[in-house]
Amino acid sequence: MPRKAKRTSATTTDEPKIRADALRPTLDLARQIYGQLSLGEIPRMRLPLRTKQNIAFQMREGVWRLGKTMGTRSARKLDGALMLLRTFYLVDFINEMARDNKTSTLRELYYISEGWQEGKFHSEDESNLLVEDLEVLCERLREDFRLHPEENGASVIGDLTIRERNRKGLVKKINCRDDVGDGGYALPSNVEKEKIEFVSSGAKFIVAIECGGMVDRLAENGFDERHRALLIHLKGQPARSTRRFLKRLNEELHLPVVVFTDGDPWSFRIFASVAYGAIKTAHISQYLATPSAEFLGVTASDIENYELPSDRLTDQDVRALQAELTDPRFSTADWRSEIDLMLKNGKKAEQQSLAKYGLNYVTDHYLPEKLTEMGVL
Amino acid sequence: MAPARTIAEQLASKQREISVAEFFERNRQILGFDNPQRALLTTVKEAVDNSLDAAEEAGVLPELMVEIAKEADSPDRLRVAVTDNGPGILRREVPNVFARLLYGSRFHSNRQARGQQGIGISAAVLYAALTTARPARITTKVEEEDAAHVLELLIDTQKNAPRVIREDVQIWDRPHGTRIELALKAKYIRGRQSPLEYLRGTAIVNPHARIVLVEPDGTRVTFERAASEMPRIPKETPPHPYGLELGELGYFLKASKRPTVLELLTRDFEGVSPRAAKDVLARAGLSPGATPGSIQGPTQEALLEALHSVPLVAPSSECLSPIGPMLIKRGLRNVLGDVRPEFFAPPVSRPPKVRGGFPFLVEVGLVYGGGLPADQPMQLLRFANRVPLLFQQGACAITAAASNLDWRRYGLEQKGGNGLPVGPVLVLVHVASTKIPFTSEAKEALAEDPDLDKELTLAFQAAARHLKVHISRRSRRSFAQEKFEIIQKILPRLAEKTSHLVDQPIPDLTPVITRIMDVVSLELQLTNEEGPRRAVLEVTNYTSRPRVLEIFLEAPTEILGASAFAPVPEGTDVGMGRAWWTLPKLGPNERAQIVLTFSKGTDVEASDLDWYVAGVDEAHLLGADPLPGDWDVRLPRALIEAAETAAPTDPDSAEGEVDYDAAESEAHVGDDDG
Ligand SMILES: Nc1ncnc2c1ncn2[C@@H]1O[C@H](COP(=O)(O)OP(=O)(O)OP(=O)(O)O)[C@@H](O)[C@H]1O
Ligand SMILES: [Mg+2]
Repeated sequence: MPRKAKRTSATTTDEPKIRADALRPTLDLARQIYGQLSLGEIPRMRLPLRTKQNIAFQMREGVWRLGKTMGTRSARKLDGALMLLRTFYLVDFINEMARDNKTSTLRELYYISEGWQEGKFHSEDESNLLVEDLEVLCERLREDFRLHPEENGASVIGDLTIRERNRKGLVKKINCRDDVGDGGYALPSNVEKEKIEFVSSGAKFIVAIECGGMVDRLAENGFDERHRALLIHLKGQPARSTRRFLKRLNEELHLPVVVFTDGDPWSFRIFASVAYGAIKTAHISQYLATPSAEFLGVTASDIENYELPSDRLTDQDVRALQAELTDPRFSTADWRSEIDLMLKNGKKAEQQSLAKYGLNYVTDHYLPEKLTEMGVL
Repeated sequence: MAPARTIAEQLASKQREISVAEFFERNRQILGFDNPQRALLTTVKEAVDNSLDAAEEAGVLPELMVEIAKEADSPDRLRVAVTDNGPGILRREVPNVFARLLYGSRFHSNRQARGQQGIGISAAVLYAALTTARPARITTKVEEEDAAHVLELLIDTQKNAPRVIREDVQIWDRPHGTRIELALKAKYIRGRQSPLEYLRGTAIVNPHARIVLVEPDGTRVTFERAASEMPRIPKETPPHPYGLELGELGYFLKASKRPTVLELLTRDFEGVSPRAAKDVLARAGLSPGATPGSIQGPTQEALLEALHSVPLVAPSSECLSPIGPMLIKRGLRNVLGDVRPEFFAPPVSRPPKVRGGFPFLVEVGLVYGGGLPADQPMQLLRFANRVPLLFQQGACAITAAASNLDWRRYGLEQKGGNGLPVGPVLVLVHVASTKIPFTSEAKEALAEDPDLDKELTLAFQAAARHLKVHISRRSRRSFAQEKFEIIQKILPRLAEKTSHLVDQPIPDLTPVITRIMDVVSLELQLTNEEGPRRAVLEVTNYTSRPRVLEIFLEAPTEILGASAFAPVPEGTDVGMGRAWWTLPKLGPNERAQIVLTFSKGTDVEASDLDWYVAGVDEAHLLGADPLPGDWDVRLPRALIEAAETAAPTDPDSAEGEVDYDAAESEAHVGDDDG
């Protein structure tokens, strides 16, 4: 019976193994503030500043990291007092969720705060920021706090077998080529070990792709099977979970990552956030960034070499490129000459412009050529 | 070619006297009758000014009724009637007063009055006749007569002489008063430069008057009397030599009946003492016994020069009738009630000065905040001898002085440090003088003059200094409000939450509260429910050490005299308007109250009560000022204590640390979606 057969492929296990000590630091914070109050001190905590001045690109690790300048959040000021109060409403809330074995989206958290009186958030930005503060203070990820963004369904196609523990606590083994439909395997918002385990993979490398149309093209042309590639759809600027997933694949399965995007300044930034991290998540770059990731294209030279149909750079594009010239993530000689070239030619092109030479051109010519050049194939 | 003589003769035959009335008929704008809106306002203004002058002269509190009504069949005409309770006008004077230009009682008088030219009301009568061909109807009764005279008048513009059209005697149910009715081509408007605005302004600077306006649609607006004292009746004083001109001096010398010039100087001029007169004469090389008539030519000039160089007693203010700080405040409060300003600066009344022989003085009242628009230029209410000036603001010396002051130094916004500043400010300026230097006969703006400018500037500065203190206190107060919010709302919850998380009892928050606040706070509440009006002062010691505090109250005598105190003050000096208390020792986070109960009808505002505190230094005091040095009260304990406590330092001071929540976060700069 098919029903039964399905049953056997999943195994029921005990309670999910959230890291046992995940919430201990949150209670340490409460203890710290309680101690200050008992001693008659004005409650306060110290956090590394997340200002631009205090975020530095670590050349050695190749990622963005928070610097050493600390700021104080103190109840002496109204804003500080309010943030402290919210912090403990939040701590209380996530400890409660742990007891009840629940998770919550960031958006739900924002609405939960309706019941926090003075502590109520005025915007989702405020609640997201406080969660990030708590990540920094506790040296934990928001997944540890059972908080996650809404699913954004970034997808994976290729020969990768994983075990996912679904929300009902059932563990399912899934092969991302054979057990999924055309849409591929949709990443959940939590991709940590307790949720997803890697079982095996026949892939030799990963192609992270900006646009869905290009993912479909590669899958339809059988590129993943022919070249033993794992295709990951970035969906524009990749979400934290997507970057975390790439990072785990790269680290745990030793798969090289290449990034294939449009050829414009914004796509360069997509690559940079995959490889080196982003300013906003500088406090957790070590979990998110894949410094060994390489940019495949479309490069400024590709636009010339392949004579791709192109658009003119807008003023905004030019400003973005110029900003990139001062961005330490793009400080290598290769990147500089790419950016200079794009500025000089004043042209940008989309991934899908490769279709100029037919639907098979990208898989039969462009990618093999580029990958060979990069030493991946 | 005609002989030259003939042309001259021809011209000569055309020469003739131009009647004043004729002249003004052709130059209406000079008198403020250039359009129907303006004509209505000017008519109301001339009648009201006269009524106020008359009532004041007779020593009665003015009671005015201004009625503006539509004329049944002509839409562009209005009927204006102004009725007063003044002394009335003798029958024989009526025609000249109302129907002859340049006829009045004030031109030659050396004292402050609204009217000064003898043109005002006759010009209105003239305008009415020109636009509607209808006579003015005057009803007037003096106390000595039983009935009122009713006259209908027109002006003969050729002869500048009155024509009585009709006359009657009528019973009038009031002891004395005057009513003038005119039909004129006019248009009723509200808002800027309207009769309503004019009367509102009039009510501000004449709080002793009660004014009722009935608008054409029947709406009745009443400006109630806010003060029952009459303004001082200005005394006629002789001219002061400062600013006297040669021609005038010559006139005095020639007309004088005094036997000697010494006597002339000391009796017929103000400010010249016998000793000063001798100095003057010595300097001019004149003998004290010389007869006034004998002084001519160059000696006249020498005398004038001596008069201007010898120091004389300043002109007395007796010929002037300032509104006075108290009534300026009351008038502003009465009329601006609906704006609810948060701050009334103590009004400034400058001492009199002389300008061109005529004494003048400047008064300024300043109001801030509340419903006043914060994004608009300062509102300037200009007054001359208690008359609102509604036109020509840009051409007025008052505006120039206000624009030339750098208000930025006093906490207001002002582009480039000149021009009218922007902010929720209203400034009242009153210039009183026996002769107001108007720029024109329409009496709309004051002419610029260095002496006037200097006085205006000094008055603005004095008021602005109070404003500055208020603005800085206000920012301190909002800082304090934040702290109150922290200790009252947030801190208790934070304690509750963390205690719950660590499963411990809630700690005593007193030490944290006093650390955050670190002030002694005074909060005043005025209660207005039924029963007697009360003021409750709550004093809280939000500092970390126990304190003995002395509280001092300064308030107008009539308010203190009408108050009962609990607890009983340690001392009072009602004459000086002072009372003081020593509070029982207050520990950290402890509080005490002082309650004032006012007898019925007492007019009290929070701004009437000034509180001072000894026993804590200024940096740790909220809602009051430290006791100023000029209070001659013994305070051994408190003062010693205050000296000791000066500036306690908080070990936990946030100084030098970066405020995490004030630092600019990169939250929105990031290039990922979170
Ligand atoms: N309502 C009144 N009651 C009593 N006397 C009046 C009244 N109206 C006018 N008078 C007398 O008539 C005189 C003439 O008034 P008018 O308005 O023409 O001139 P003015 O007030 O002296 O000067 P100005 O031209 O500046 O108004 C006044 O000086 C005053 O003596
Ligand atoms: Mg007059």
